[in-house]
Amino acid sequence: MTADPRALAELLEEAQDRQSDALHPTRDALDEVVEANRTGTADDDALGNREFHVAHQRSLASSFSGAAILGAAGGAALVGVLASAASAASSTDVQILQTAASIENLAVGTYKTALTLPYIGGSAANPIVTKFAQVTMSQHMQHADAFNAAARQLGGKAQNKPDPAFVPVVHKAVASLASDTAAQGTLGVVALAMELENIAAETYVKGAALASHASNKALFASIMGIEAQHVAVLNTVQALLTSGSPQLISLAPGTAAALPAAAGSVGVPHAFYQTDKAAPAGQGAVK
Amino acid sequence: MSHDTSETQLGSERELVAMRNDLDQMHGDVSLPALREVLGSPSGTSRRTFLFGAGAALAGGALLASGAGAAMPALAGASTQRLSAARAAAFPPKGLSGDLAVAAVAASLENLAVFAYDSGLAAASAGKLGTVPPAVATFASTVKGQHQQHADAWNAVLRSHGKAAVTVTNPSLTPTVQSDFAKVTDIAGLAQLALTLETIAAQTYQVETSKLKSTAAIELSASIQPVEMQHIAILYFVLGLYPGAQTAAGTPVAFNSTTRAA
Repeated sequence: MTADPRALAELLEEAQDRQSDALHPTRDALDEVVEANRTGTADDDALGNREFHVAHQRSLASSFSGAAILGAAGGAALVGVLASAASAASSTDVQILQTAASIENLAVGTYKTALTLPYIGGSAANPIVTKFAQVTMSQHMQHADAFNAAARQLGGKAQNKPDPAFVPVVHKAVASLASDTAAQGTLGVVALAMELENIAAETYVKGAALASHASNKALFASIMGIEAQHVAVLNTVQALLTSGSPQLISLAPGTAAALPAAAGSVGVPHAFYQTDKAAPAGQGAVK
Repeated sequence: MSHDTSETQLGSERELVAMRNDLDQMHGDVSLPALREVLGSPSGTSRRTFLFGAGAALAGGALLASGAGAAMPALAGASTQRLSAARAAAFPPKGLSGDLAVAAVAASLENLAVFAYDSGLAAASAGKLGTVPPAVATFASTVKGQHQQHADAWNAVLRSHGKAAVTVTNPSLTPTVQSDFAKVTDIAGLAQLALTLETIAAQTYQVETSKLKSTAAIELSASIQPVEMQHIAILYFVLGLYPGAQTAAGTPVAFNSTTRAA
């Protein structure tokens, strides 16, 4: 089975539809995230996610209620200045949140396509690779929902489309898979995923600094490390594949002892995460 | 296989909550938006400084090797030696508040990580941890170097504002790390301890990224958190667990928690 670029386009559209269908306007952000995180076990970290989003909502609400109090106290002029500044800041936040959502949408579509390939999601695939792709796709869906919920909280629209600047990159990469062997194809998918994950991580590192609202900084901060972990895993997987050791992509006992020395550093190449490949703030904003 | 038992190894929940509150207080103490402005503020003793100082006096901290010639105290080999209360009580240094105080705490966490990895490498070289996989040795050496760079970066911030570099390990966590390290007998145990330290560091940076005031400090914190998260992913892989942020039950999570931030 070979990759079909048309399938990717369809899946990207499907991802857009999925976002539109899934995000009901009347459902608030907390419910979305809680629903997305529902795994059947109410453990502490799931609660942590929920608490994080509750705090996110409260933070936004309090920033607006503070302005209302000032207004009631007679500080109309000051409120006007604050409102203007807040509007500008919110506009920037909305743009970077929408761009983030667009990257997540593209990632979801890419992983969904990858999982249709026999060497990623089929019986011929390494089960660890398959699970990673499934889990990661699910995480990107949750990220997209969270970014869109945050954008809507600021009066913006949800971004349900993929980042337009990166769509051609994905199309080109998927097209090249058509003539690949399974081994080549796996490496191609890993390379594509790594590029997208790194763009996402770098964009969110930058977003954490650019965002005006503390709650949005916290949102970016809660996701950027997850994407960086995806990059670390993909870097390691790529190295093991390239070195002809696909059997070491395993969580079985004793695997660590068999790993080559370089496997200990390839996933952690830099002491400081870079931002030179970060997407421009408005690149994926709703036009 | 036991999973993530490290949560119970590093201090009580109350201690961690107290530390988090201290950091909150630290931010609450400061309304100045920039590091330079912080330098011009009165250096009175805040509640946070008092609490950190008191905690440090009780807990003690390990002084890292520095240009002043101080020796790195032994952590491996079950040493639980504590430094003098007078030296430990000096953390964090007087006059640090706001972003600069966070920089000091961050440097102390990085120093502790350097100390732990260095001690782990020493114990491994001495044959105390059994057979050491080559990849694990490479990882420990690489990551130790990165934590040193992180510490250097935070100390550069302090120095650029006329403050002394922080060369002690985090006083609140050091005794527990010493105690836990003394129980480590193999690579898996060392990886679990490292996982705990990396988790605390990553979650601390995650929290601070949205609280710091100066753009430079925010950018530095944001550039380090993902790297600590990558360390965590590789450590999980070494332990044979899903290589990503997860719950105590092993369920991968899409949003990193902050429940264990310092």
